[in-house]
Amino acid sequence: MARHAALETFGRSGNPVFGDKFNQSQGFVGSERMTLDGTVNKTGVLLGLCFFGAIISWNIPNPLLMAGGALIGFALAMYTSFVPRNAGITAPIYAFLKGLFLGGISLVLEMQYPGIAIQAVGLTFGTLASLLFFYKSGLIKPTENYRLMIFSATFGIMILYLVNFVMNFFGAGIGFIHSNGIFGIGFSLFVVGVAALNLVLDFDFIEQGAENSLPKYMEWYGAFSLMVTLIWLYLEILRLLAKLRSR
Amino acid sequence: MNSIIFGLLAAISLFIFFNLGKVKASSKQTNRDDRINWGASPWTKKNSSSKRDASSGRIIEGEAEEVNKD
Repeated sequence: MARHAALETFGRSGNPVFGDKFNQSQGFVGSERMTLDGTVNKTGVLLGLCFFGAIISWNIPNPLLMAGGALIGFALAMYTSFVPRNAGITAPIYAFLKGLFLGGISLVLEMQYPGIAIQAVGLTFGTLASLLFFYKSGLIKPTENYRLMIFSATFGIMILYLVNFVMNFFGAGIGFIHSNGIFGIGFSLFVVGVAALNLVLDFDFIEQGAENSLPKYMEWYGAFSLMVTLIWLYLEILRLLAKLRSR
Repeated sequence: MNSIIFGLLAAISLFIFFNLGKVKASSKQTNRDDRINWGASPWTKKNSSSKRDASSGRIIEGEAEEVNKD
């Protein structure tokens, strides 16, 4: 019944990320199903690996470690998004590599603004816990319109960052992204808000995945999607705090 | 002091996450008609629902009555 419901919900998708993967799930056995417990535990494993990578990079500062972690991590994130079946292998590697990057970038900013890293860590996990509470209690209800709004905002931010990245090659850039003026801080606050609201979408995806008894490997995929949002949120909070401290 | 406060915040938040994350969401959250359909793209969903709304607008609800011309 539950497996049938999952196929009803996800099997006829037009989305290339979900469509084929959910159709392939017809052969899985009843005991090998996605659960909330499993997803939370796997998120714990990914957080531990990310923290381990960050400790290495924090104690052995090396630009190569940072750049390698960021670039290979990005490539792995793209791969995992399109091949969730292998998330059990790619997600832990992704978390460790991103940890290498986060540890390095946190150390650079920590040397400029002492105490900034622990502030960003505290605020990131604080946001995670409070939004989880709001979601579980039903105070925030993600609907199709909510998803459309958050997807659009996230896509817009991504395009803006991409344009800024390309402009950097020609010695230019979109000034307000890095400025510490009112507009720059306002932009950072907006991005932090969008990143935080993305967490609610991750919670809903995990909750529905467990309800619809998706295959076991989707636990890794759910934990991976939560990690991607958390890493983005941490980086944006770090950027916002750096702007505030540099004023 | 800064490290203690934010370190505690992180530890308490992680504790909440690992406990609350394993609990099923409230019925207020799960028993809704307007939940997200994760199998469909949000853009497709929006278009198909607007087409459905447009066609449903032409249906007149009510009971049919026989017309007597006597």
